[in-house]
Amino acid sequence: MDVFQNILMGFRVALSFQNLLFCFVGVTLGTLIGVLPGIGPVTGVAILIPITFGLNPTTAIITMAGVYYGAMYGGSTTSILINVPGESSSVMTTLDGYQMARKGRAGPALGMAAFSSFMAGTLAVVLLTFIAPPLASVALSFGPPEYFALTFMGLTLVTSLSGQSMLKGIMSGVFGLIVACVGLDAISGEERFTFGNIYLLDGMGFIGVAVGLFAVAEVLVNLEEPMEQVFVQTALSLRTLFPNLQDWKDSLGPIGRSSLLGFFIGVLPGAGATIASFMSYAMEKKLSKHPEKFGTGIIQGVAAPEGANNAAAGGAMVPLLTLGIPGSGTTAVLLGALLIHGLRPGPLLFQNNPDFVWGVIASMYIGNVLLLVLNLPLVGIWASMLRVPYRILMPLIVTISAVGVFATDNNIFDMWVMFAFGIIGYLMRKLEFPAAPAVLGLVLGPLVERSLRQSLTISHGDLSIFFTRPISALLTICALLSLFAPVVRAVWQSRRMSPMEMKP
Amino acid sequence: MRTHWRLSVAILIAVGLTMGLGNVGEAAKFPEKPITLVVHASAGGGSDIFARTLAAAFEKEKLVPQPIVVENKPGGSGAIAFAYVGGKKKDPYYLLTAVTSFLTTPILRKSQVTYKDFTPIANFAFDEYVVIVRAESKYKSMKDIVSDAKANPKRITVGGTQLGSSDSICAYLIEKAAGVQLNYIVFNSGGEVNAALMGGHIDIAVANPGEALELAKANKVRTLGVFSEKRLAGAPDVPTLKEQGLNAVYVQNRGLVAPAEIPEEARKVLEEALLKYTKTDVFKKYVKENMLSEAWMDGSTFGKWLDGEHARYQEVLKAMGLLK
Repeated sequence: MDVFQNILMGFRVALSFQNLLFCFVGVTLGTLIGVLPGIGPVTGVAILIPITFGLNPTTAIITMAGVYYGAMYGGSTTSILINVPGESSSVMTTLDGYQMARKGRAGPALGMAAFSSFMAGTLAVVLLTFIAPPLASVALSFGPPEYFALTFMGLTLVTSLSGQSMLKGIMSGVFGLIVACVGLDAISGEERFTFGNIYLLDGMGFIGVAVGLFAVAEVLVNLEEPMEQVFVQTALSLRTLFPNLQDWKDSLGPIGRSSLLGFFIGVLPGAGATIASFMSYAMEKKLSKHPEKFGTGIIQGVAAPEGANNAAAGGAMVPLLTLGIPGSGTTAVLLGALLIHGLRPGPLLFQNNPDFVWGVIASMYIGNVLLLVLNLPLVGIWASMLRVPYRILMPLIVTISAVGVFATDNNIFDMWVMFAFGIIGYLMRKLEFPAAPAVLGLVLGPLVERSLRQSLTISHGDLSIFFTRPISALLTICALLSLFAPVVRAVWQSRRMSPMEMKP
Repeated sequence: MRTHWRLSVAILIAVGLTMGLGNVGEAAKFPEKPITLVVHASAGGGSDIFARTLAAAFEKEKLVPQPIVVENKPGGSGAIAFAYVGGKKKDPYYLLTAVTSFLTTPILRKSQVTYKDFTPIANFAFDEYVVIVRAESKYKSMKDIVSDAKANPKRITVGGTQLGSSDSICAYLIEKAAGVQLNYIVFNSGGEVNAALMGGHIDIAVANPGEALELAKANKVRTLGVFSEKRLAGAPDVPTLKEQGLNAVYVQNRGLVAPAEIPEEARKVLEEALLKYTKTDVFKKYVKENMLSEAWMDGSTFGKWLDGEHARYQEVLKAMGLLK
């Protein structure tokens, strides 16, 4: 078959000494960039553009793609260890990952994050190899109404991220939506709640808010504990470092499902790894027999979002390579890099530069293997970090977070946002409001608003646009079901209960 | 005595050099440290590519003895970068990318910092704009669009990135020239606009020829017209809008500015180095690949050009109803 010949040719390109070396350099840098909060793959790839200027284009893009998916591996590390999401796409990993670390199971959490990333990453490349062109046309069938239906469905997931109290979860989600309103109006360009401050024109920086709500709030809560304490007192052994058989049994299903979901969401331009990780977590919670255990430190809660964000990184390569359309912030930078290296991204890239395209795709198989080999020995090192006493670890977390948040856009204002949301996050923790719905609201708010208004501008205010198109209709109905299912279930159960109660 | 006389002359010259003529000595040394080139947009965009190509060429060709460091300060349609560089008054070690938003953002946001708070250094090129439709579209020329728009006002959807941006100005110029009304739909990025066009969710889009012609070669889109005065060298079969009876001409500039009141010597050093840059193969290749038009303007010419454009933008943005 043609594809096999192509991918063989790709491996010949990718396995040359130089490309192999730079693939390794890329994934190693990516892991480091992922570990540091704030400095995400976007910045990482951008920094590499001038450095790779002298390399041939294939080697350069292999390196940068390595940084991209490498960062997805590394992003989980600080989420699990110290509740600091390294990137926006690893916010969901903090929920169960950090709880696992607190129970002394940082090793299995980190290990499963690496395995899940590896499997999802590899599956994504397989799908990229075989079905990229047809998938690209599916992605194109998503217009504003479809994006609205998809993101609206995402918003209804607040109900499954709520924890104990549904009301508090919804309040937190609405808080996120309100914060998302700050900044320029996406359609008219009008300023909203900026108070004349230019740093608020693009809204509250997502990384600042997320790191504040999770990391800084966590440090503040921990300040109430005696300072000499450490996270984990148990000695580390090889047996406690890696996932056990039960962990594997629990994780394989979530990894498979979240990889597929993540890949398809990644293919859609504008959706991306963050939404993929949110949706996969919520999906697993819905499917689980014990949804109440999510958020208490179970391995599925790590496996699912980590699989989804890696698969999404692979999926985002589909529109980039087949159409020249970047599906995420990082692929936008990659597109810029292609242009600088004199390659014209577009539908003809596969025809005109087959050795480049297939070389990069093949390098992604190799890169994922390298990442697994690289990350597993690191698990022990990272996990032993938790034996550092609070009084040393806490200032370090705050410093690393502050530097990382500043580095995102080279903006000191984002750091103040982080501290402000640290205090808000602390109060939310004390009052038992979950933070995840707020972050979900902040991520999805602008997308929901934009696609809703785009659709209504196209239809001149006619709501039927959401129901007359098949994909949009299906997704809207799913969203409505997801929203009202708990209510319907409650009503139905009370109806069924009442005659039984009447009997005695 | 003679030796004393010689000695005093030598001392006088030495003192004169260190004091009175000191500025010359200093300026001759400019730049003494790396120059920061601030990009007003995120990494990966058009301005970022422009800046990074320039920085790499300076490094390779040693156009100035110090490196140029690119720093992205995205946000607020450039407002954050303008405030940042604008606040570096008299400091010649900062440069800023200046495109349409350099003029339009201060007009739209009524910000304190305007183009007058900067020293124009040079302009390099113009970005061109083309009108594209998807390959299956019923529109074969601008005339088809105009007649359909006349029959169905506000029904033809045109995708763009922001009200007040170059593409929205292009859409407005079509409306004005033809006396029609279109339905402008705002997307997050140019990539999303192209995706929506190919998917048939919008009717027309305004794009840069570099990306558009790549899609056209693959028969995904058709190019109906270009907003330039003359046909593009890289796409001679695409007619101008003017040829099709629409008086809509638009380009976006690509220039560099520095903070206000920088030393004249430093400005000259920069201007000369940048003129040399436009003669390099790297720049020629950059212009050709991105289908730009070369448009060198030195500092004073660029300054006058900015004055004229500022007045024009003020008028257009007001007519678009974006100024209150």
